[in-house]
Amino acid sequence: MAIKVERPPVAGGRKPLFPRLVRALNRESFFQNVLAMPMQLLLWFLLIIPTLIVLYLSLVAWEPRMGVDWWQAPFAWFRNYGHVLSDVRFWQAIVRTIGVVVVAVALEFAIGLALALFFQRDFLGKRLFTAVILYPMMLPWVVVGLAFYLLFLEKGLVNYILIHFLGFETGVAWYHYPAVALSTIILADVWQWTPFMFLILYSGLGALPRDPVEAAMTLGASRWQIFRYITMPMLKQVIIIALIIRSLEAFKIFDLVFIMTGGGPGTATESLSLYIYRLGFVYGQLSYAAAMAVLILVSISIIIRLAVRPLEYEV
Amino acid sequence: MGEGFIILKGLRKEFGELVAVEDLELEVEEGEFLCFLGPSGCGKTTTLRMVAGLEIPTAGDIFLRGERINDLPPQRRNVGFVFQNYALFWHMTVHDNLAFGLMVRRAPRSEIEREVGEMARWLELEDLLETKASRLDLSAMQRVALGRTLVTRPQVLLLDEPLNNFRPALREIMRGELKRLQKQLGSTMIYVTHDQEEAMTMGDRILVMSAGRKVQLATPRELYRQPNSLFVAGFIGRPPMNLLEVTYAREGDRAFLRKGELAWDVTLLRHAIEGGLRGEKAVLGVRPEHVLPVEEAERRGLKDTVVTGKVDLVQPLARKKIVDLFIDDTLIKMVVSSDFPVAKDDQVEVVFHPQETHLFDKETERAIYNGLS
Amino acid sequence: MTLIGQASRWLGALAICLVILLPVVWVLSISFKPPQEWLAYPPTIIPVEPTTSNYIVLFQPGNPVGGVAAMVSSAEPVTQALINSLIIAPIATAASVLIGFFAAYAVSRYRVGGTFMPFFTLTTRMFPPVAFAVPLLVYYRMLGLIDTQLGLILMYTAFTVAFSLWMMKGFIDGVPRHIEEAAVLDGASPWRVLFTITLPLVRGGLAATALFVFILNWTEFLFALVFTSREAITIPVQVSHYVGAVGRFYGPQAALGIVASIPVVVAGYLIQRHLVTGFTFGLVRE
Repeated sequence: MAIKVERPPVAGGRKPLFPRLVRALNRESFFQNVLAMPMQLLLWFLLIIPTLIVLYLSLVAWEPRMGVDWWQAPFAWFRNYGHVLSDVRFWQAIVRTIGVVVVAVALEFAIGLALALFFQRDFLGKRLFTAVILYPMMLPWVVVGLAFYLLFLEKGLVNYILIHFLGFETGVAWYHYPAVALSTIILADVWQWTPFMFLILYSGLGALPRDPVEAAMTLGASRWQIFRYITMPMLKQVIIIALIIRSLEAFKIFDLVFIMTGGGPGTATESLSLYIYRLGFVYGQLSYAAAMAVLILVSISIIIRLAVRPLEYEV
Repeated sequence: MGEGFIILKGLRKEFGELVAVEDLELEVEEGEFLCFLGPSGCGKTTTLRMVAGLEIPTAGDIFLRGERINDLPPQRRNVGFVFQNYALFWHMTVHDNLAFGLMVRRAPRSEIEREVGEMARWLELEDLLETKASRLDLSAMQRVALGRTLVTRPQVLLLDEPLNNFRPALREIMRGELKRLQKQLGSTMIYVTHDQEEAMTMGDRILVMSAGRKVQLATPRELYRQPNSLFVAGFIGRPPMNLLEVTYAREGDRAFLRKGELAWDVTLLRHAIEGGLRGEKAVLGVRPEHVLPVEEAERRGLKDTVVTGKVDLVQPLARKKIVDLFIDDTLIKMVVSSDFPVAKDDQVEVVFHPQETHLFDKETERAIYNGLS
Repeated sequence: MTLIGQASRWLGALAICLVILLPVVWVLSISFKPPQEWLAYPPTIIPVEPTTSNYIVLFQPGNPVGGVAAMVSSAEPVTQALINSLIIAPIATAASVLIGFFAAYAVSRYRVGGTFMPFFTLTTRMFPPVAFAVPLLVYYRMLGLIDTQLGLILMYTAFTVAFSLWMMKGFIDGVPRHIEEAAVLDGASPWRVLFTITLPLVRGGLAATALFVFILNWTEFLFALVFTSREAITIPVQVSHYVGAVGRFYGPQAALGIVASIPVVVAGYLIQRHLVTGFTFGLVRE
């Protein structure tokens, strides 16, 4: 229900200087549209127009070094898309990025859930501990990347621990082997974003009604059975949302890779975002990058549609 | 046996500073329908939760069939609990709700299906078995909550205000259903309520609680006729008992209760009164249905002090009228049959039924006599 | 709970927190170490000869690090980046939260844009920003916004406004409608209701949203990397320059990481109370 605004001026109020102007300003339709206007303008200029441009760019053959402006470039129609789809480096980057997303998000969820359950009981200093746990997600990505880069240097702290406490003969050259380099990136992501999972699951668990758990207790359910049949199903929506949000975020991964490995060795740790970045802003193949961007936009839209569907039926 | 089915000994529960239940002693007999009655916050739900194991007592012991169960977790007490808002497993179907107790006990599938089917038939939930619990109406939710508990054949069934959310009409029907069910199963039930009518109609015995303490444990009839305190007298019965502050005085051989100009001869009761009354201030109680118009009292041969009151308000009910009278500045309610002619501002002469008055000590609030005469 | 249970939980929590703090502590430690200790074996958490020269070098690159003559940084001073970040992030945050608040009010109270518009805004946060960076580059070139503070402020506002909208919508939905209606019946104009009734009631939410958005803006890296080169460079980009260009200058790199983190650590401290309580997205039923 909207608030009704049309009413006679109240006795005793001051007479406005421009009564018609004031009345127009206060009209409900005007009021609500003015409120939403700045955001809509912003989205038009920085979301919708650029989206149209990227569509156009993806259909022409244009590179800044060609010396012509982009709107004068010749049409290539779907040739860019064809090149993207047959680009091995593109597919490798996609598979690699999805792999990072799956492994990192699964780890974050498992650890985050364990932490959330651990912190359900009250104990001394809990507030302080939770405050510490939440910090990593606020730090700049580049700083997290820097921190892990410093930890995993050949003469860094991690190798020292490996050699002196875990009996390794030599340190690991973390950034020389693709799989190892990738795992340090995943580790950094897990370190930074497990707190996010923890936060959502922790507050989700805290907000669950206590009654069904107590009912299950009086019916004879063990703690594990309560967790499995009562707590987890009640938390399902929160879990799905958390997984979607975090997967989308992890798919964007760029900063960590850029700082820690620069995509190396070779292109062995190159994420999709990093590849597009290089195509567009390092190699100057903007049309090609645009086609890739469009493909990403479209496929993520479809994935989101599919992922959100179970939620809609649930409620 | 003489040994109670459930025994609470010196049971006490504190939440920080707050004492929710204070040194409660109680014996519940097997097969009994016991009601906990009291205003909200009097500790009745807390007591129930301690019996179920959902709260840990601060002190005292709980015995079930002679076994001390203080340290048993709720899972191992086999005590059924029906929650005030049912606490159904909203994400499950009715079938899965009913089957839950057996499933977690790892009962064989065939047995689960048989028991659930039987329970559903009995509670008329057969058509709803595949419905999600969150989509049920109140009465079905309540039946599921009951059935879910009964399937596990608990030794005791504890119910925490299960009819609270019901409309009055439905409430009355469900009361009857519950009572019939209890008789059918022959199971021991403890039923928490703040509604005296509910307790009076359902309970074999009623435990009246106030501020965490036991006030009176008695049958409904006893509570009505022989309230042991002002609290019970005021809590049981609608409209509530009329309470008049009076002064007790000896005059030679005779004894009187006086209120202003009015005096009631209590010579025959003077030993009882003097045995119980500490000072001279007392409270005279008489139920509205025992305030009789003087004509009716004469017809029934009941003689006592005639009191004159001015009618302030008449509330007609179906076959009765509730009449508010002012005697000087004290308001009294009386219940008369609906053909009794009375209107606002009439002067009415009434007599308090001499065998149905109650006297309480004003200071200790304890009963001195209940309707002796 | 028993005392032993308490103690074991406490120890467990302590261990978790140590693991979480380790990378930060390590950076902090290196930032105060002289060059010979950066890779020293065995490494120490507490610097043997603590020095602030890593921090001084950030602002005066001509100085040799820790007095070692060969260690002269060739990087730009970080002063420019620091000033830029301190201008861009707060202004973009204020703009984002205000615009988001107004839009959230329109969405919450008048259903402006139906269900589509609020969800549409989320696209700015769902897709990899690099996909938007490609067209924005040609667009910004046309508009002359490359390497300007204004360019980044506009971008940051646009890409965080969805966050502000949704978070503020949650807070505004929590304000009971009848409070506003009472004011309307008393003759207040809608503008007046908005500014004198609703705004004060959601002040706490506004502050929490602003802190979150500030963290997003302060830490943003990709747009800053693509759209700035000298004039409007921000702190995260400066960090990446240090890691890339200065090679093995681990001490100054760590020091810069610490400097870059201070504002968000402060913001995070202010957020904490809002974070743990009342942050369930209203998703839990019943």
